Amino acid sequence: MITVKDLYKSFGENGVLKGISETVEKGEVVVVIGPSGSGKSTFLRCLNLLEQPTSGTIVFEGQEITGKRFDEDKLREKMGMVFQQFNLFPHKTVLQNVTMAPIKVKGQKPEAARKRGLELLEMVGLSDKADSYPNSLSGGQKQRVAIARALAMDPDVMLFDEPTSALDPEMVGEVLAVMKQLAQEGTTMVVVTHEMGFAREMGDRILFMDDGVIVEQGSPEELFGNPQNPRTVDFLSKVL
Amino acid sequence: MNFSFWSGYKASYFSSLWMTLKLSLVSILFATLLGVLLYFLKTSRLGYKKIRPLSLLASAFIEVMRCVPMLLLMIIVYSGSKIALGFNFTSFQAAVIAIVMNASVYICEVVRAGIEAVDRGQMEAARSLGMSRRKAMWLVVMPQAVKNILPAIGNEFVGVIKNSSMASVIGVAELLFTSKNISGATFLPLEPLLVAAAFYFVLTFTLGRLMLWVERRYKVSDNR
Repeated sequence: MITVKDLYKSFGENGVLKGISETVEKGEVVVVIGPSGSGKSTFLRCLNLLEQPTSGTIVFEGQEITGKRFDEDKLREKMGMVFQQFNLFPHKTVLQNVTMAPIKVKGQKPEAARKRGLELLEMVGLSDKADSYPNSLSGGQKQRVAIARALAMDPDVMLFDEPTSALDPEMVGEVLAVMKQLAQEGTTMVVVTHEMGFAREMGDRILFMDDGVIVEQGSPEELFGNPQNPRTVDFLSKVL
Repeated sequence: MNFSFWSGYKASYFSSLWMTLKLSLVSILFATLLGVLLYFLKTSRLGYKKIRPLSLLASAFIEVMRCVPMLLLMIIVYSGSKIALGFNFTSFQAAVIAIVMNASVYICEVVRAGIEAVDRGQMEAARSLGMSRRKAMWLVVMPQAVKNILPAIGNEFVGVIKNSSMASVIGVAELLFTSKNISGATFLPLEPLLVAAAFYFVLTFTLGRLMLWVERRYKVSDNR
């Protein structure tokens, strides 16, 4: 579904991604782990072109998206993204947050979008908050709304950029529960996270990144049970 | 203090108050429009490589306007229009043009600060949902920027009202112009001017309160 080849990204002199080649299959849950500053988030943000890759190619559903004059907006309709800082729209109610893009981008009828929005809010367990404003929600609730908002566009892939890192510990579970449900429904997901429990339980494949490259990858059993690279061993010994 | 002239000149005061109000409101309206336009020109990416003519033009305008005294600008517009453009502006038109040129530059700056204060994540979230840059700007960033802009732009509006008194120099019959005339006619050096000051105070104070009220209404979503 997504094929990345020789992806490089640098900010000025500072190289962040140093040659990444990777494929994500339909229905797969790929979890990216690694130390801070290893380029995990940048890698994720390159996938929906929030960061322009310096060089390399990304092919999504048979189309090269890194080419010139590619319609980024159309691409992003098919890739949902969930951010560490939620980024809900504070001037809109929870339901409006969810229905805004379907109405304004896809041109859905407000009634249809509203119905779908309420379904999604039901799914993340927040139907009763539909008319509240984001500022009155807890972090966990905000992140669940953000997930519903991304799902409202019916994306083919969901990208999660450290979705639980900004949450109080007792709220991590509720967000992970929603993500697990998505994974079980067969949603294609790329998840950058520090939640090793989630990675081990839900990941079809784990990528370990360090210093801008994918150092090692494999199934959770292989990577957590029998890591090969010394850097992976070192990282896992610190976080597990 | 002798305010006995008041009853005789009441009508002149009120008609000049109306003139000040008209001058200020028209100027505020156009200065705001031009200020926003300047911001979009300044941030426009239209152009070839590093050369962005619209952005360059806007920046040049802003720098020049910042450096020319408004009173001088007003006189230049008033007395120079015949030579430069071939026709005369009325003194009212010249005053509006000069105030708008001057105030829009500062309003542009207020708008810029207000928009840039909106968290970058908002634009990213909107774009990640497939919105174009323009849609994201109008639907997500701008409504939030307005909240940042309002308090500061209120000050600019008050400034416009006060600066409108400069139009007295080119003969617009506004508050200062009229009260100076009254001062001359009554041989009272101070009192007619104090009346004008009181009128300015009422105008600016009312506007300040009005802006506060609008500001509060915009904050609704913060409190729920």
